[in-house]
Amino acid sequence: MSFDWTHLCAANETTPCVQPVQVAYLAALLLGVAIFAVALARSRYLQTATLTLIPVAIAINIAMGSIVAYLKLPIYLDSIGTVLVGVLCGPLAGALTGLLANLIWSILPLPGGGGPTIAFFAPVGGVIGLMAGFWASRGVFRLRTGDPRVGSFLALALGVAAAAVALLVVQQTVGIANVGGTPDEQNRFVLMSVAILIVAVVVAFASRRSVFAFNQDDGRIVPSLVIATGIAAGVLVLAVVRLLFAPGGYFSTVNGEQDFLNGLNLTGLAFADPAGMIGAVAVGALAAAGAGFWASRGENARLFPVWVGGLTTGFVAASMSAPIAAGVFGGVTGAGTDALVALFRTLGLNVFQSAFAQGLTSDPLDKTISYTVVFLILTALPVTVRTMFVRGEETVVE
Amino acid sequence: MSAAAGYYRPGHSWLHARNPLTKLLALLWLVLAAFLLPGLALPVLVGLVAVIAGSAGLLQATIRSLRIPALLFASILLVNAFLYPGAHDFLARLGPLAVTREGVTFGLVSAGRLLVAFSASIVFLFTTLADDLLEALVERGIGHRIAFLVLSAVQMVPRLQGRAAAILEAQQARGLQTGGSIVSRTRALVPLAAPIVLGSLIDVRERTFALEARAFGAKPGRTAYRQVPDPAVDRLLRWLILAAGVAVLAVAVTRPLA
Amino acid sequence: MTGQAVSEAGRAEPQAAAGRVALDGVSVRYPGRNAVALEVSLAVEAGELVGVAGRTGAGKSTLALTAGGFVPRVVHARVGGSVTIDGVDALTATQSALAGRVGIVFSTPANQLSASKLTVREELAFGLENLTVPRSEMDGRIDEVLDRLAIAHLADRDPFALSGGEQQRVAIASILVMGTSVLVLDEPVAQLDPAGSRGVASLLRQLAGEGHAVLCTEHDPDVLAATDRCLVLNSGRSVALDLPGTALGSAVQRPLGLRPPTLVELAELAGLPPRQAFDEEAVAAELARHDFRRQIEMPALGMPGDEMLDWMPIRSEPTPHLLVSDLVHRYAGGPEVLRGVTMTARPGETIAIVGQNGSGKTTLVKHFDGLLRPDSGSVEIDGRDIAAVPVGSIARTVGLVFQNPDDQLFNRSVEREVAFGPHNLGLDGGRARDLVDRAIELAGLMSVRTTNPYDLGLSTRKLVALASVLAMEPGILILDEPTTGQDGPGVARVGAIVDAYRRAGRTVVAITHDMEFAAEHFERVVVMREGAIIADGAPADVLSADRSALLASTGLVPPVAARVGARLGLSRTPTMAALLEALSRR
Repeated sequence: MSFDWTHLCAANETTPCVQPVQVAYLAALLLGVAIFAVALARSRYLQTATLTLIPVAIAINIAMGSIVAYLKLPIYLDSIGTVLVGVLCGPLAGALTGLLANLIWSILPLPGGGGPTIAFFAPVGGVIGLMAGFWASRGVFRLRTGDPRVGSFLALALGVAAAAVALLVVQQTVGIANVGGTPDEQNRFVLMSVAILIVAVVVAFASRRSVFAFNQDDGRIVPSLVIATGIAAGVLVLAVVRLLFAPGGYFSTVNGEQDFLNGLNLTGLAFADPAGMIGAVAVGALAAAGAGFWASRGENARLFPVWVGGLTTGFVAASMSAPIAAGVFGGVTGAGTDALVALFRTLGLNVFQSAFAQGLTSDPLDKTISYTVVFLILTALPVTVRTMFVRGEETVVE
Repeated sequence: MSAAAGYYRPGHSWLHARNPLTKLLALLWLVLAAFLLPGLALPVLVGLVAVIAGSAGLLQATIRSLRIPALLFASILLVNAFLYPGAHDFLARLGPLAVTREGVTFGLVSAGRLLVAFSASIVFLFTTLADDLLEALVERGIGHRIAFLVLSAVQMVPRLQGRAAAILEAQQARGLQTGGSIVSRTRALVPLAAPIVLGSLIDVRERTFALEARAFGAKPGRTAYRQVPDPAVDRLLRWLILAAGVAVLAVAVTRPLA
Repeated sequence: MTGQAVSEAGRAEPQAAAGRVALDGVSVRYPGRNAVALEVSLAVEAGELVGVAGRTGAGKSTLALTAGGFVPRVVHARVGGSVTIDGVDALTATQSALAGRVGIVFSTPANQLSASKLTVREELAFGLENLTVPRSEMDGRIDEVLDRLAIAHLADRDPFALSGGEQQRVAIASILVMGTSVLVLDEPVAQLDPAGSRGVASLLRQLAGEGHAVLCTEHDPDVLAATDRCLVLNSGRSVALDLPGTALGSAVQRPLGLRPPTLVELAELAGLPPRQAFDEEAVAAELARHDFRRQIEMPALGMPGDEMLDWMPIRSEPTPHLLVSDLVHRYAGGPEVLRGVTMTARPGETIAIVGQNGSGKTTLVKHFDGLLRPDSGSVEIDGRDIAAVPVGSIARTVGLVFQNPDDQLFNRSVEREVAFGPHNLGLDGGRARDLVDRAIELAGLMSVRTTNPYDLGLSTRKLVALASVLAMEPGILILDEPTTGQDGPGVARVGAIVDAYRRAGRTVVAITHDMEFAAEHFERVVVMREGAIIADGAPADVLSADRSALLASTGLVPPVAARVGARLGLSRTPTMAALLEALSRR
């Protein structure tokens, strides 16, 4: 018996070794088991109203799936019920809903359901519910545009933006080290990640204490929200343009072939040449201006915190489902998004990376729309219903 | 049978008569073995599932059920066969795309593992009523509230599917366009989604009163009406499966994944 | 049943039900609202059935929730006074102290089930499981209750596959099986067909006879007639607590803007004492003795609120002619729901479709606007087969208002909700605004224009859904059970809408269980049974006592005025007005 294989695989290693994917999957599995254990232990404290809501929420998840399928929309929206429970009954109830929803989806013969194997994604559902509960407790679904707590979300967004800029700078100057490279490269990778994370935290913290330190009904809140919404929309458009049309740009560590689709080179649409860059920036600026104009009207800007919650939930969901999709399903899931996986494969990404990239392009958008729909629905919630649930009064807008 | 019975097919085979926990343990063992043992073990495991299904008279039903993940299997095989990153051993070329040996191997192993997991699960679901499984789990200490959540959700799913259909009709009767461009289809989302959520939440209020009036959650314990038989042969079988599980782990640790 | 021993968990054995519920100087205020929702004193003794009547919003549901022990433990409110249920102080009691002492049943049958059990027998066991009753006792207790409520034949059925009336009986059984002595019901028959309502009414009578204390809020006169005493609420306060004949009589009801039940009105006319107000035979006998020719003053039939309403057409399309021929429909894999139905709706006609639940009424009208397509046969609008026309286009001509308003409401104000239809039709701003204004006015929703629909009660939400279809001004307006859950003025409002729309030259088709409503507002009545039309004609012909056997075959009974008329040897008296006129000509 030998334990030589118990180390992470290096690049192109042929001897027995452990793939990073497998470690990630194991971690996701353990996390899922941990959440499930806690949720099970806490279930005896759930109120009757919560216990009645959870099964309904699970059924809502599935019913939304069929509505979206009927409308032929390229999104899932199958976690609306999970988010709802997280908001109305707290993170643990949300986590329980997400976990059970996947299990139930897997034991029922449903049109469009993937059958029993969907159960592998249960930990992802759990984390979505957990995060919805967390964000709701931070006020995502009840902040008005005059609320000073909005500053936290602006600071968080600025922190993320700073991290993105730091990442770009690192990528353009030293280049990002390969995870699977030599120990030296691996160390460098970890160091860089930590440095970028520190930049994000420091910027978020500092801005919360300075620019985004608002008073009640501060006149600066609405303009800041409007500008932030505008910039976020612009950046999002740019990122999508780059992600889809710049093979060598976004995942620069990959030795992508530049000539996919019979040599049709679309890098011109991104930053690669001056004309493309100007075009992309113009598109982004237009999008930003449009979004800013929209956000300046009425209470529209209060959707900004909702979107921060949805986007972050989507990123976490994507990074959790990627190892599962890669490890269990060979990188595909049998859904329409497999076309995206195939696209990323042609761009030269490996099994794990293309599953992750697929998730990154669909999950944040999906969760953002889910959060928005939940927000819109909650604004129409009658008082009698809202007050029935543990968190209803503190998390939902009046 | 009601829609809430799911995949369950009533019957009197030896597999139907097993305790749900025995079957659950066997299912877990099969999934574990499929993912931890080398790819060469997969045909044996598929054969094992086929023999079990056949002996319970469910082989045809199991094979027919494979159309559910058919698209997934096709996706796994095709995407990997043509697009396996870093593969160099070309088997055939098709225009700009090439089939690689590494891709085909990876696709076959992935699909094989999933085939074992899927067919074992479906045989389990064919022969096990969710109510019996959860009652058995409650006997083993899982909270009866969790059992309620699962069983209730299983009942609510067909009801809300029906409700979604009713809402679709009600909104179409008010002239809602559900086809056309992606913009008009997106616009239809909230008119369809909001009534289903708001209406259900209003029902939750009444259902909560109904459950409270039925003493749900009034006492820490609960007695069970449904009885799940657990003959001696099941206890023996569970020990055997556990031993087999240890064996699989031992093989996996000494002969790691290729 | 093993015997007299009281199990350690279960309270009294079912036979020994002897609880009472007493509300002493109770006042309930909901958070954020100044008005008192309820201010009442009431005791329901063991063996007594007490009814609660009053307009929508009078506090009936609050009373039911309070008497059921849910206020303030589950429903947050400030409560004064004291509530005692089966000897327990309900205002401070925990759930476990109240468990098994009181049960509550609401109007939506499916919501009363635990929704976690596969058979009725297991559904009944649910409460026993929660009370930790030993397994060995369960079957005995379940069988006893199944027999007592005469539902033993349902024991192995899927609870969700039952009819609404059966579900309500199962809901009541699943409470009684716990040994509960106090039963509270909040409009239990609002969503049932006439046969289901009568079944529940006689069951409540039986339970009171067996020693239960039963409190039941209801609009249905058949249920209220069965009560020992009837409490009338107005703005949360008690107006009367008396025999149903008195409490529902003119002296109490008219000042509240309500009309007494037809039978009570006739009894008063005949000068019968309140105790005999619901005795049809006595009423008829007494009326026979009166000489109405000499009576100059007819009783005031009109109500302050039912002045004539008008609908001024805005869209200029002429009202179309609807023809369905040999319609056959079956749901996937099931039996035929419609078995060759042929009927017409001429422009400007008003047609009521009646028949028991499951007779195919809703399936039929869903074919009128293309939501369902026939398996064979055809639907023609103005001679054109609509088989190939998309639903969205038919919505311009045929407007269907669904039974459950919650299947369509989603906007944050009544105004926006009503504007949804005209917006979908692409009507221009000015005309759309006019249509919205007129629909809101006709439905009487001016005061709640900017309110969130879900903050309104179910009966008002039904009017919002009706207005949202009215605002599209369809040539043919179809209403599915528009009066369920409506109080007297609500029914009158729906009737006035039907009348106004007919006077504007439009067609109205309504499915209804309310025979008086059908007789008063419709020119034709179509009776359905098991997917076929078994009668079609004027109300006076179809809803007459000589058709009793035919109507009974689909769970219906003729309206009160027709029944009383028949006892007096009069035919063709489906409404009270027709009856009085016939009497005066005699």
